Amino acid sequence: MPYRTAPRWAWPAAGLSLAAVGCAWLVHNDLASRREAFDTDARIVHRLLSQQAAQHDAVLATLALLQPGDAGAPSASPEQRLPALYPQVLTVLRRGVGESWPAALAGAETASAASRRPVLADPDLARGQYTLVQAGVPSSYAMRIDAGAAVPWADWPLARDGPVRVTLGLGGESWVLQAGRGDPGIWQLAAAKRLASESQPFTVLVTRTLHAGELPWGRLLLWCLAAAATAAALAAWQHQRDAARRAEELLRLGQVGRLNALGEMAAGMAHELNQPLTAVLASTQAAQRLLDDADGPDLATTRQALARSVQQARRAADVVSRLRRLVQPADSGAATAPVRLREAVDGVLYLLAPQIGSQGVQTDLQGLDGVPEVQADPVALEQIVHNLVQNALQALTSVPPGQRRLVIGAASDGARVALSVRDTGPGFAPGALERAFEPFFSTREGGLGLGLSLCESLAAGMGGTLTARNHAEGGAELTLTLPRAEAVPPGNAT
Amino acid sequence: MNQTPLIHLVDDDPAVRDSLALLIGTVGLRVRPWAHPQAFLDGFDREAIGAIVLDVRMPGVGGLQVLETLREQGADQPVVMLTGHGTVAMCRRAFKGGAAEFLEKPVDDQLLLDALQAAVRQHVRARQRHQGDREARERYAQLSPREREVLGLIVAGLTNKEIGRALALSPRTVETHRANLFGKLGAPTLAQLILRYAQLAEDDAATPP
Repeated sequence: MPYRTAPRWAWPAAGLSLAAVGCAWLVHNDLASRREAFDTDARIVHRLLSQQAAQHDAVLATLALLQPGDAGAPSASPEQRLPALYPQVLTVLRRGVGESWPAALAGAETASAASRRPVLADPDLARGQYTLVQAGVPSSYAMRIDAGAAVPWADWPLARDGPVRVTLGLGGESWVLQAGRGDPGIWQLAAAKRLASESQPFTVLVTRTLHAGELPWGRLLLWCLAAAATAAALAAWQHQRDAARRAEELLRLGQVGRLNALGEMAAGMAHELNQPLTAVLASTQAAQRLLDDADGPDLATTRQALARSVQQARRAADVVSRLRRLVQPADSGAATAPVRLREAVDGVLYLLAPQIGSQGVQTDLQGLDGVPEVQADPVALEQIVHNLVQNALQALTSVPPGQRRLVIGAASDGARVALSVRDTGPGFAPGALERAFEPFFSTREGGLGLGLSLCESLAAGMGGTLTARNHAEGGAELTLTLPRAEAVPPGNAT
Repeated sequence: MNQTPLIHLVDDDPAVRDSLALLIGTVGLRVRPWAHPQAFLDGFDREAIGAIVLDVRMPGVGGLQVLETLREQGADQPVVMLTGHGTVAMCRRAFKGGAAEFLEKPVDDQLLLDALQAAVRQHVRARQRHQGDREARERYAQLSPREREVLGLIVAGLTNKEIGRALALSPRTVETHRANLFGKLGAPTLAQLILRYAQLAEDDAATPP
């Protein structure tokens, strides 16, 4: 049987790796969901700004199409009302036929006339302003736009003082729409995309930094605690199992030790008794021969031989009484106390559970809770029950697994309580039943034959009896009868 | 050769020793009791006819060990072992060590005395056989090489004529050798000669000179 146990560091290590794997997974999931949210926000930002740029194009195109007549009346210049309508429109310029305007606008006008769409002119990203020029006939228009005011804040998906930074870039310059949180973090999320407008080819750059502080520390901590608890529980479970196995092994060793001691004692006893018996036998037989001597008996020698024989017989008796003193319990019966049979039986079944399980024995407890307590020495009682159950299990090995039943029952007639242990094994063979309690009688190969004899002595020491019979339905039944517990008033117990 | 056989009795228990000694004495055997195995090993007479009774369980040198020491030292007295509780292993070890008998204590008188008398008879026979062997070897040593050759062929069943042909000798010379070797070996008949010397002659022929 292998007795290897996991090293001391195994469970802490397992707990650590479990915590690490779990944390990595949590962090990974958290980052993934943050990135997804960020990407969605970036898409919305891009769409809103693109819509805004398209609106600027549309306004200019409308102006160029309407061509509100010749210069003159202020009412004939509806474009001048645009800054009031659109906060992002700073100024609108019109160049009528023969008029001139700044050179930058003139260049853009030429390009616009060629491409028949608005063209960007004079971008000033440092201030967030730019001009769109639309060539037209007879008038061309130029509209100065404040990029910051163009942002549709109402539909903006981001908190304006939030961690996300949004900039518009063109060439090497950029205009910060929203500053975000500039401090460096561990991770950087970024999305850059040009506006969907040919006239306003700005690149929208959305960035966000993630800080260690933003990790899901609460969940990570919870997970680590859970992993530690799991590892601790497993370690405790293993420790307990090891301890149980060790205890079992110690018990087994103890039993082997006792058996060895018994064997040694038997050998010593045999020698101690055989010596005087040899002397007695040899002396008396020598005396017989001397008396039968044809030349007449040598009475002096004969007498001497007989005297030695008597002396040696006494020596043998001494050995026996010394042995009896040795094995007699110091004060049997003194340590009795009220005991519940159920406890003794449970204790024994717990100890023998592995054997019962491996043999596939079905155990059946009957009436154990319905009987009064018995007056017994708990250790002796457990020893008797242990012996009886062990004998039953031994007997059950000779029947097929399906028929292995162990029935432990209890009954009381008022003054006495009987505990019976019955098996469905082959029962006592004829002749064995009568000798079951005889010391050194055993039907088992290598059995010492002391088990039942010892049990009977223990039972007698507690004022009880132990009887054996073959049950009517087959199998052996051993019945231990003990006096019911004395009615000792609480607090008066010795 | 004619002295009364002597039984050596080795047991550390004085009561057992004395009573067994008395019992053995009742059939007219001499008994020499020993309390200590080592004293016995150091002091017993190896030449005397007799047998040894050994208790298996003794303090110091145990009975089985004494038995093995006796065999190593070439003692030829038969040994009867006595034990309080014999095991199969102990019994096997005793017989492997050359014990003549293995008896359990307490031992019945008839059993022990029969065993001892049988052992003594066996020892006497062994000694006689040994004695005879020694005599035969001494006589055989007196033969000349030619006489040994002739003896070998006689034992092989050849006639004088055949022997003469085999050794390139005249039948007359063979006859002379034959008469000489019969005289030297002290054999009255051909049957006696073959009985006592066949083994020696064959052993001699098998070992090249």
